[in-house]
Amino acid sequence: MGAGVAGQRRQISPALRWVTDISWRPGVIIALGLLGLVTVVFIAILGVGSTVGSSDTSGIGQILMITFIQAGLSTVFSLIVGILLAWSLRHRQQFPGRRLLLSVLSTSMVLPTLVVALGLVDVFGRRGWWNALIDLAGPGFDLATVSIYGLGGIVLAHTYMDAPFIARGLLHRLENIPAEHFKLARGLGLTPWQRFRNVEWPALVPAIPGQCLVVFLLSFTSFAIVLMIGGSPRFNTLEVAIYEAIKLEFDLPRAVALALVQLFVCAALVLLTMSLRSGNILQAVRRPAPMWPEPRFTLIMQWLVIALFTLFFVTPLIAVTLNGVGADFVRLAGTATFRLALVSSLWLASVSALLAIALALFMASSQRHFTSRLRSKPSPMNKLYRGLLTFSGTVYLAVPALVLGLGFFLLARSFLDDLTAVAPVALIAANVMMALPFALVILTPAMGKAADKYDRLAFSLDLHGWARWRLIEWPVLRQDLGYLLALTFCLSLGDLGVIALFGGQGFATLPWLLFQHMGSYRTADAAGIALVLLTLCLAVFFIVPRLFEGRTRAET
Amino acid sequence: MLKLEALTFHHSDSQGDQNYSFDLVGRAGEIVGLTGRSGSGKSTCLDLIAGFLTPVAGTVEVDGTNINARPPGQRPVTILFQNNNLFEHLGVRENVALGVNPSLKLTPAENDQVAGALSKVGLGDMLKRSAASLSGGEQQRVALARSLVANKPVLLLDEPFSALDMDTRDEMLALVRSIVTERQLICLMVTHDVRDCDAVADRRYQMIVDSGNRRVEEVLP
Repeated sequence: MGAGVAGQRRQISPALRWVTDISWRPGVIIALGLLGLVTVVFIAILGVGSTVGSSDTSGIGQILMITFIQAGLSTVFSLIVGILLAWSLRHRQQFPGRRLLLSVLSTSMVLPTLVVALGLVDVFGRRGWWNALIDLAGPGFDLATVSIYGLGGIVLAHTYMDAPFIARGLLHRLENIPAEHFKLARGLGLTPWQRFRNVEWPALVPAIPGQCLVVFLLSFTSFAIVLMIGGSPRFNTLEVAIYEAIKLEFDLPRAVALALVQLFVCAALVLLTMSLRSGNILQAVRRPAPMWPEPRFTLIMQWLVIALFTLFFVTPLIAVTLNGVGADFVRLAGTATFRLALVSSLWLASVSALLAIALALFMASSQRHFTSRLRSKPSPMNKLYRGLLTFSGTVYLAVPALVLGLGFFLLARSFLDDLTAVAPVALIAANVMMALPFALVILTPAMGKAADKYDRLAFSLDLHGWARWRLIEWPVLRQDLGYLLALTFCLSLGDLGVIALFGGQGFATLPWLLFQHMGSYRTADAAGIALVLLTLCLAVFFIVPRLFEGRTRAET
Repeated sequence: MLKLEALTFHHSDSQGDQNYSFDLVGRAGEIVGLTGRSGSGKSTCLDLIAGFLTPVAGTVEVDGTNINARPPGQRPVTILFQNNNLFEHLGVRENVALGVNPSLKLTPAENDQVAGALSKVGLGDMLKRSAASLSGGEQQRVALARSLVANKPVLLLDEPFSALDMDTRDEMLALVRSIVTERQLICLMVTHDVRDCDAVADRRYQMIVDSGNRRVEEVLP
């Protein structure tokens, strides 16, 4: 094999070999480039920020407080629901549809926020399904009527999106508890509560601070949900206030002041998140723990949690589907704006996804270079490079899309008359930076494990460049790459961040068009667009990873 | 006396239907070995006795009482696994105390009992250590101390010492021997190492695998 590989390597040009070596250089250059991009954006914002003194900065403290309160409440509720759901699913391992339910819950990460908001309004809005049910029940049930608009609705929507994210992470930890611990608990006669306290809770605790901070950060920078169901300026978060300052009040200095506050808080939270990464104290499961009968009360509680959350999660999606199928798709497809939005969304999401994955591969490769003793000698520079790569990979979390969009907006205004020319670049940059943290979290450990296992053999066989990629990296990473491609495509497809600033007649995406139609009460068309977005996201999320499945996955 | 009578279990896997049948006797103060190659069903036998698996037929009797219907926590049985016998986030004292009272609310007398059990296994000075800081041999000693405070007549050992070095393994086997004799426990030890078994066991059973059927046979001296 070694001779064959050497023969293949000689046919590759030096430039291509330099890249396909997946060596450390491209990743470091990319990391520096991303940091450079953020710095330019920051300078653009600061440039306008110097005039903040002449702007209206009143109420920023109040907005900051509301943003903290809604993010805090969203985190607490998501955590409680997430723990209950993970615990219930851990103990109900076999029921028809469990795998389907887990797949459906995993879509919470990629569902377009605007579609979720629309679905929740369909169910819990003033004229929603819930209130219709209460009306049917009769006048005695008036107290049970709900309105989703306001702080409660924001927290409900964030819980909808984030509780499944927490549940999946915690379920993974619960499933990794050694079977012997459950046997011990059973053998010692521990009650379900004692088992939770002594066996399950200690396994969850190390993951909770990190997960809470991520959810807090997501809620803190939430835009579409707050915009749609905040209901009143009283509940405006920083992101929405930035948007309104730019688009409604035309007060750029105020937008910049808000963006600086947002940047400062997010950077602090990201630094905290990075310091809280938990080590995995659990051992890999050799075989799943057997199931035993639970006490009746515990059993009822577990089924109730699973059933209620499934109903809560699925009903808004059904509402979006049922409302959407009534739309006049023929007329909608005939409109130039819809066609433009559809085509723009698809190519922007495709380019963003491919670019994000390519950048992540190079960065993950650099990261493993500096952590592997086989690849680099220990030196203080290694630590510096690792820090650079880690920070650069999570930088999006510190620079929310709307703030990034504001930076591009200010830059474009300084040099160009036509904002639409810079819009695709701004959108792709924001999408890529949004997807990078997810891609790196998956690819970095996978590539590290592949290196640990195969580096000695590969080096001894002089296997590198394209041959190494084909024979080692691709079989190991292909499933992860399929999942990531779907994930990053869907995240980009559904995002209403930067496009909210740049969208217009000449440049539109599906989320922007949906937002416009909702704002102008063209509800039938909005429902149709929402269904198109939802269908596209779900189809890509379920089909693309299947295309990357090999017959067997290479073991790491 | 521990008595397995026509204890039968079925399960299906990628290799087809597997049928297990166990007939076995263990007496007080006796260590009985159960040997066989990996996957032959040794651990399944212990899981049936401990109540982690439910047999399709047959009985598990301890001192003449059928315990088939009892849940694991109420069986007169303690078990030591090869790994993960301790909760590493708890201390040594708490790990042993779980054998006395799962709520960990112990009376002074019960606290003394925990300390006594740890002394018995040679860890009297490690009461306040965390379980994670112990060596493999020390962890198994703590687990053994917990089985002592649980005060149950049947001790099941699921290859608990196979991951230890030879000297530590010999020490642990000698400790088990002395505890079984002193407390007149019925000990069933599963191992794939016949030499280990012959070194400490009074009698030995062997798992026999005949296509999909597995059963035990006593190995006569």
